[in-house]
Amino acid sequence: MDLELTDEQAWLSESLSTLLDREWPAAEAAHEAGRDERDRLWRALVEFGVLGVDEDEGLGAVELCLVARALGSHLASVPFLGSAAMRYAAGPRSDLGEDRVSVALLEPGRGWSVDETRTAVGLTGLDGRKVAVEHAAEVERLAVVTAAGGSPGLAFTAADAPGVEIEPQESLDVGVPMHAVTFSGAAVDGELAAGVVTRLTAIGALLAAAESVGAASRMLEDAAAYAGERRQFGRTIGSYQALRHLLADMYVRQASAWSTVLYAAAALDDDLPEALQTAAVAKAYVARAAREVAHGALQVFGGIAFTQEHQAHRFLRRVVVREQQFGDAAHHERELGRALARSGSPVPIAVS
Amino acid sequence: MRLTATDEERALQEEVRAFLARDGLAASDLPRGLDDRMNVLREWQASCRDAGYVGRAWPSEFGGGGRPPVEQIIVDQELAAAGAPELVNVVGLDVLGPSLLRFGDDRQRHRYIPSILSAEEIWSQGFSEPEAGSDLASLRTRAVEHDDHFVLSGQKTWVSWGQYARWCGVLARTSDDGPKHRGISMLIVDMQSPGVEVRPMTQITGHAEFCELFLDDVVVPKEDLLGERGGGWKIAMHTLGHERGTAALPRQVKLRTWLDRLVRVAARRELDGRPIADEPEAQVALARAFIGVEVLRHHAYRTVGEFLNGGAVGPDSSSVKLLMAEAEQRLAATALEVLGPTLQHAEPAEAGENDFWHETYLYSRAASVYGGTQQIQRNIIADRILALPQE
Repeated sequence: MDLELTDEQAWLSESLSTLLDREWPAAEAAHEAGRDERDRLWRALVEFGVLGVDEDEGLGAVELCLVARALGSHLASVPFLGSAAMRYAAGPRSDLGEDRVSVALLEPGRGWSVDETRTAVGLTGLDGRKVAVEHAAEVERLAVVTAAGGSPGLAFTAADAPGVEIEPQESLDVGVPMHAVTFSGAAVDGELAAGVVTRLTAIGALLAAAESVGAASRMLEDAAAYAGERRQFGRTIGSYQALRHLLADMYVRQASAWSTVLYAAAALDDDLPEALQTAAVAKAYVARAAREVAHGALQVFGGIAFTQEHQAHRFLRRVVVREQQFGDAAHHERELGRALARSGSPVPIAVS
Repeated sequence: MRLTATDEERALQEEVRAFLARDGLAASDLPRGLDDRMNVLREWQASCRDAGYVGRAWPSEFGGGGRPPVEQIIVDQELAAAGAPELVNVVGLDVLGPSLLRFGDDRQRHRYIPSILSAEEIWSQGFSEPEAGSDLASLRTRAVEHDDHFVLSGQKTWVSWGQYARWCGVLARTSDDGPKHRGISMLIVDMQSPGVEVRPMTQITGHAEFCELFLDDVVVPKEDLLGERGGGWKIAMHTLGHERGTAALPRQVKLRTWLDRLVRVAARRELDGRPIADEPEAQVALARAFIGVEVLRHHAYRTVGEFLNGGAVGPDSSSVKLLMAEAEQRLAATALEVLGPTLQHAEPAEAGENDFWHETYLYSRAASVYGGTQQIQRNIIADRILALPQE
């Protein structure tokens, strides 16, 4: 039983932070980064090795979550989530080279359950419509969740293939640009079976959660620092118990959110039987916990955080957007509850 | 980073399971009368000790197992999963024993440790006082030094199993100079001494597992001073942190067994002709309770892992404590909400089950108070982790 980072993992985490400090604008200006800056950061990340996903030798789920956390705490805008999740889910079979990938899952009028998918591969190619496909205009490939004879499947298309129409869509966070994508007989250049989708949604949920934890941790850090400086009524506001306890609760949420992400990631890497369920637990918990931390930070900052200029709302936006990807709390709680009612919750004493 | 058990750890799990299948005792089988219950519990701890499951990581020269700390956690989780009763000398095992091992001298360790392990001598703690709860350092029980002994007077409360305890670790003021926590010492008090009086306190659950303790000019030999004079506060903080940090893993297992039980009851009981467990609202409530217990497990793994790798149990034990209280209270409240009207249907066959949930609920309200209240834990985090300005 050991969730401590190895020396290599700790090094990875620190190096990424240094890289992001160097290659990406500070949080106050991150939203102004244009396509050139986003591409430059992406190249730097690829060169650093964030796509070197390999269960045995390269990056596993734990390492990918460390990357996602760092991206969240820097408000980075890169197509990492889909590119990394797809490589992790498909393993060596993915054959993606250095292609950037977006995962197309959600459909108009439907929820996060992949069993409800309507998009499908027919005789003439891929047909259907997806929404909230992040960074779709900046990737080479789309990984599309499909209905494949009763169970969900996965089809790849080139993002610029005929029959693929990508339109920008409103996104609460400019760092996570969203697109609606319509497929009309689009050419499919690869399909993967159902098991991959399950693994893809699990790692996708964890990466989204890890990014949220990164954003929330940064908000906590900033809010605690502010509470130590700002004075009202002749006292530093961080000396008031009302705020000390609020910040302590934010700490507990942030720390436990990271624990559950780390545990779930390690469980995926170790192929524990509970791995998929644990990923759902982590996503459901972090969805609420990260928002709670963000709300607490806004409260500590007070009025200043309600201005466009202040960076707090940009982290809040990242948290709220990531809360949705690969299932929000309500989705995962419903699924977990159904599973519990069906079979109980056998006590895992995998202690170690 | 490692989640899977080693072969050795797995073998230990199997061994404990075999022991429990053969010689196990279920908490639900305990006699209701307190004296009978105490006797059975002592025997139970003794049989666990004989099997090597008590003090497994304590030094072997004092009767411990001399094994790595992770093994005790494995054993404790197995006992909890099987619904075995808690070891009755819990205060000796979790609080005073670790203090004796860390701060005691050889005579004290040889004298006291073996009988803590076997439950031949029950230990209690005399920390809180009627006027010193969260503000423990303001305690007034006083130990006046004489040639070879202290004379101890004062009143303690929340003394667990006080009526059965042979020894009590008492925090007492030995000096009024300097900061108030520096003038506190830890004394080992023989509960059979003249001047010791205990009065059981009935809790909101109806049980009387705690006592008030009255100390009236009790003579304590100097050799029963634990650690240094004036070092009592340090000992208490060390052991309370230790307790907070490591108790969470067996506790989460226990909570998990309760959750399982709740799911089974919800599947069995019907409302308006439908099993409760088929209702989506009930399922979501159960899922939320489940998530609380799971997150406690994950967070405890991370913090306890640091301890097992040689780190100290640091201020993060406070975040574990807060999550532990939250998970337990949510689960207990969920039981009341999910079972709802069925708790009032007065089905004779379900009376025992209803009692269990009502008692679990009432007991859960203590989780945010004992071992340092929720508010004290937040203060610790604000001071020691977030380094916020002092109030």
